[in-house]
This record gives sequence, C-alpha cells and structure tokens, in this order.
Amino acid sequence: MEGPETFNQLSLSIDPSTKALTSPDATLASEINDLNQLHRILLTLDTPNQIPAPPAPVNPKRSVQIGKLRESGNAAYKKGTFPEAITLYNLAIRMASDRPGWEASGLVREELSALYGNRAQAYMAQRQWAEGSVDAECSVELKRVGNVKGWWRRGSCLREMGRLEEAAEWVKSGLEFERAGPDKGGVGELEQLGREIEKGLGKS
Amino acid sequence: MDNTTFNSTFNSSTNGTNGTSDGLPPPIPKSFWTNLLLPTLYLIIVVGSLYTFSTLYRKSQLSKTARLEPWFPAHRQRDIYLSLLHLDPSEESSAGDDEKKLKRVPDSVLKAALMQRALEDIRRIVQLRSSKQALQTLLQRGSVGDELWQRFLRAEQEMEAEVKDVVNEANAFAPNWGQVIFQSANEMNQNLLIKDRMKELQDKLESEKAWWEKKKAGIQSNFLKEHGVEDDVKSEDTAAATVAKPVEKRPGSSDEEGILVDVDVPTQSQGAGGSTKKKKGKK
Repeated sequence: MEGPETFNQLSLSIDPSTKALTSPDATLASEINDLNQLHRILLTLDTPNQIPAPPAPVNPKRSVQIGKLRESGNAAYKKGTFPEAITLYNLAIRMASDRPGWEASGLVREELSALYGNRAQAYMAQRQWAEGSVDAECSVELKRVGNVKGWWRRGSCLREMGRLEEAAEWVKSGLEFERAGPDKGGVGELEQLGREIEKGLGKS
Repeated sequence: MDNTTFNSTFNSSTNGTNGTSDGLPPPIPKSFWTNLLLPTLYLIIVVGSLYTFSTLYRKSQLSKTARLEPWFPAHRQRDIYLSLLHLDPSEESSAGDDEKKLKRVPDSVLKAALMQRALEDIRRIVQLRSSKQALQTLLQRGSVGDELWQRFLRAEQEMEAEVKDVVNEANAFAPNWGQVIFQSANEMNQNLLIKDRMKELQDKLESEKAWWEKKKAGIQSNFLKEHGVEDDVKSEDTAAATVAKPVEKRPGSSDEEGILVDVDVPTQSQGAGGSTKKKKGKK
C-alpha cells in the first residue's frame, strides 16, 4: 500500500449527462462497473444526504412484501398447485436477493433460508429430487443450526436419488449441528432418517 | 689558575642567563595553543564520527523499511476515490456540450466511491485478522523470518491510518456518517459473500439435474429389460430405444455407484410408492 500521503492517480473521466464513470484502463473495468451500479442505487435513496442507512433498523416494506409472497406460495402448495408455488417462491427469492447490500445480512440469511427450504419442499412434492436437494443445501448453508427441515429435505432427496453414502454423511453432520441446537424435537426425525439410510446401506 | 677557570665559568653562566632574560612571552603561548589544539581536535573527531554514524544508521534503517514489500497489492478503490477528488472535469469537457458542464465531480459519485473504498478496507481488515494468529504461530516456531512480521506490522499500521482517513472523509459528507459507513460496508461484504455462495450452489443445479436424468433413464431401461423382454413388440421397441441411451451412460453412472444401480431398482420402485406419503408439514 502506498503511504498515507501518496496515491496512484488513475485516468478517469466522467460523463456529464449520465454521471457515469469511464476509464481507458481495462483492469479497472469491474471496479468501475460496481461503482456505477452503486452510484445509481444511491441516487434513488430518499434518506437525508442520500447516505445508505445504518444496517440496524431495516425498512420493513421489503420484508412485508417478501412475507406476502411466501404466504401465497404456501397457500399454493397446500392447494397442490406446485408449479405456481415454485414461481411465487422464485419471485420472493429474487426480491430478497435484490435487497441493497448494506441492509442487515442476518435478515437476508433468515429470509433466504426459509424461502429456499419451502421451494425445496415444493420440488420434492413434484419428485424433482435434484432441484430439491440443491435448494435444501442452499437453505442449510444459510442457516446451519435450528434448520432440521433443511437437513432432512436434502437427506431424503439424496436417498431418493440413490446416493446413500452421501445421504448418510449429510445426515450425520446435520445431527451434529442440530444436537447442539434449539430444536431437540426435530433431532428425532433426523435420526430416524439416518437409521433408514443406514438400513438401505446395510442391505447393499 | 683556579681563579680564571672559576671566572670563566661564572662568566659563561651569567652570559647564559643574560641571553634568556632578554626574550619574553611569545614562545610560551605558542605551545599553549598547540596544547589546546590536540584535545579539541580529538573531541571534534570523536563527536563528528558519532554524529555521522548515527545519521547514516538512521538513513539506512529508513531505507530498509521503505524497501519492505507492501503486504497488499495496490488499493484500487482508494486510488479511484482520490483520483476523483483531484479530478477537474471542467478542464476536459469537449466541444459542443455546453448545457451540462460539470464544475466538479458530483457528491453522489464521491459517496459511492467512498463506500467502495470502505468495502475494500473491510475485506483487508478481515484478511489481516485471520492471518495474524497463523503468522504468530509460524514466527514462534521459526518457520518464517522477521521480515514477514515487519511487513505485517507495517500493513496493520497503514490500515489504521487508512480507516481513520475514511472516517474523516465520511464525516465531511454527512454528519456522523463515519460511524455508520463501516457498519454498512461490513453488511455489504457479508451480503456479497452470501450471494456468491448461493450462486455457486445454484450453478451445481445443472449438473445435478443432468446426473439425475441419466440415472433415471438408466433405471427405467433396467426395469424394462428385466420385466418387458417377453412382452409385446412395443415394449421391445421402447427397450431397444432406451438401450441405446443407457449403454453409453451406464459406464458413467456405474463408475460411481455400479452396485447401487442394480440394487436400487427394487428399492426405488418401493420408494416411489412410499415417499409420496411422507410429506413434512410446511412452515
């Protein structure tokens, strides 16, 4: 890093009408791109000084919308119209991912974990095990503890696809996480799945 | 006779004293100054050499620290931000654009650039923190030299100065933004990490789907072959059609789970019936 008093002067130029940055230097392209995108988002902010708000109190508008989409997805699932449920969940996931970057990441994790989990369930109802397993893995990745359903879903998808060893390992690590977690009741179900997988492995 | 010798010696001795009693002060001060010269010269030489040595040594230390390789590569976002601050777009406005000439770079662009700079700083801080422990352990064990530790310390100091600088700049844009900007940058970093991870996992979806389709086709053809060989022509045709596909794909699937394919056919047919009943409640 250069000293505090020095810096490398880069050749930048700014377009007066669109206020977008450009630079003849090709190596800067990705950084300039990110900057221009962030700039456009900042211009739409309505906070004083157009400064990103602190992460703590989140504007509830987006969360309410995401919640609504999730509820309608759940309703479609209960009715049995699984493709519709999946479309609704897709929309909700896109909305949750498009949140501005500076809003609380913990909230994003919670929302996305629940949404991926529900989408996995909808895929499983349609016997699309591959999609279901990937979505369940995403859900667990975002929330490892207290997410028994996520562990269970991927475990059963793997079992349905015939990948019993992977399923056994997956369920084992799930049990490790969940035993230390808050949901002791769910552990029993996960254990049962594990036993069934062991039986399947034992037979082969 | 004795008198003459006595006289002559007496005379000569008085002559001698007569000669010396004539000349006065000069020879004595000459040797005084020369006497003073030597110690002063000595002192000058000693002090001079000490001073020269200390300045040369300090210069060599400075040049050694200056030659220390920086820990991180160039800080691009910082360069962008500072270049923007010093940029004067009114100089470069080309002919024909006289409605919208910018006097200076707009604040919003500078704010965005500052946020990017804070984001990069957060990333570097995380990197430094995670490598500090490991570096200390390695240093204790003697696997790395001291120079690496010096570079690390220097990087830490520079980082602190950089953070203070960013906070000051942020406060210049909006009151109290300095406290918030690093929180926001931290959240941005976390969110970007989440997004990257999700993208990674979702990219696996394509290969998983393809694998599963292959497997299903393989199982189906197995099933048909076992049960539909003596049946009507239609099933033979379908078996023949599907035999072509799995023949090239079975080697692929059997590489990983050859045993499973055969054994799973009966479990799969059971599982297909059983799993529809196993539905977990929704949240």
